Amino acid sequence: MVSGPPPSDYFAIFGIEKKLALDLEDLQRRFYSNSREWHPDRHARASAQQLAWAEEASATLNDAWRVLRDPVARAEYVLKGEGFDIGEQRGKDVPPELLEEVFELNMALEEAREGDANAKSEVVRALAKFEGLLSEIDSERDTLFVEYDAASARDTLSRLRALLNRRKYLQNLVRDARATLA
Amino acid sequence: MAYSDKVVDHYNNPRNVGSLDKSRNDVGTGMVGAPECGDVMKLQIQVNSSTGVIEDAKFKTFGCGSAIASSSLATEWLKGKTVDEAMEIKNTDIVNELTLPPVKIHCSVLAEDAIKAAINDYRTKQGAGVSAETVSH
Ligand code: FES
Repeated sequence: MVSGPPPSDYFAIFGIEKKLALDLEDLQRRFYSNSREWHPDRHARASAQQLAWAEEASATLNDAWRVLRDPVARAEYVLKGEGFDIGEQRGKDVPPELLEEVFELNMALEEAREGDANAKSEVVRALAKFEGLLSEIDSERDTLFVEYDAASARDTLSRLRALLNRRKYLQNLVRDARATLA
Repeated sequence: MAYSDKVVDHYNNPRNVGSLDKSRNDVGTGMVGAPECGDVMKLQIQVNSSTGVIEDAKFKTFGCGSAIASSSLATEWLKGKTVDEAMEIKNTDIVNELTLPPVKIHCSVLAEDAIKAAINDYRTKQGAGVSAETVSH
């Protein structure tokens, strides 16, 4: 039974400390057990106030689950909470070589879409390369997660944000490249 | 959300699509991107180095309609302006001209950033060229 207004913080609603490197199995167990606990059926005899709190807790829990189970969304949540601007920062963290590459791949994608066979094999090569980069980024991300959990350094978060920006481009490219080849 | 007529016009008939030889000393290249949407824009200017007037401008944008329209409009505005005048172009001018909605403002910011990046690249090249000359004298 909920005995007070539930927290709005995504980590707090799970009853865990704010951490970037999360044990997903533990998170899932908590999700199910909290969901059960806050289920309306369990509040048949509760007061209207308690029922309202339970509903609010369930809603927050659902949002929190969607965000925290996904490493990128989780990192963005923590970054936002620490006052980092996520959307509004003009790509300054993206190295020029990467932009250059992104641009070239986009050109190749366009040519491949127009039926150029050479371009198509270029896209295949580029796709493999970008998928490789994506998985490198993800392991770097996990390293930064552990680093942040150990020391809560702001510098770790700026590096994380830069990494997520790069990831975003790559992700779009991989998506477009796959769509072109499909 | 409906695009304004001007955006649609630039989108359907983009002006000055293409590229200039980026190895040339009188060509400045700006390559920028917006991480929130993954869009990229390349904008280039060719400058008459004795008058400082931009004689040609080209762009290629992989992005949304507003980004394409913003960069297309930017190249139109750039031609005939001096580099110093071009530096004054603000994303808000683009927003007003194309009547972009608030969610599309970052697309115009991208165009402003591309202009600045192209000018900076041109200036760096010119600066480098001058000092190279000085050295050879
Ligand atoms: S939506 Fe990204 S540039 Fe327009």
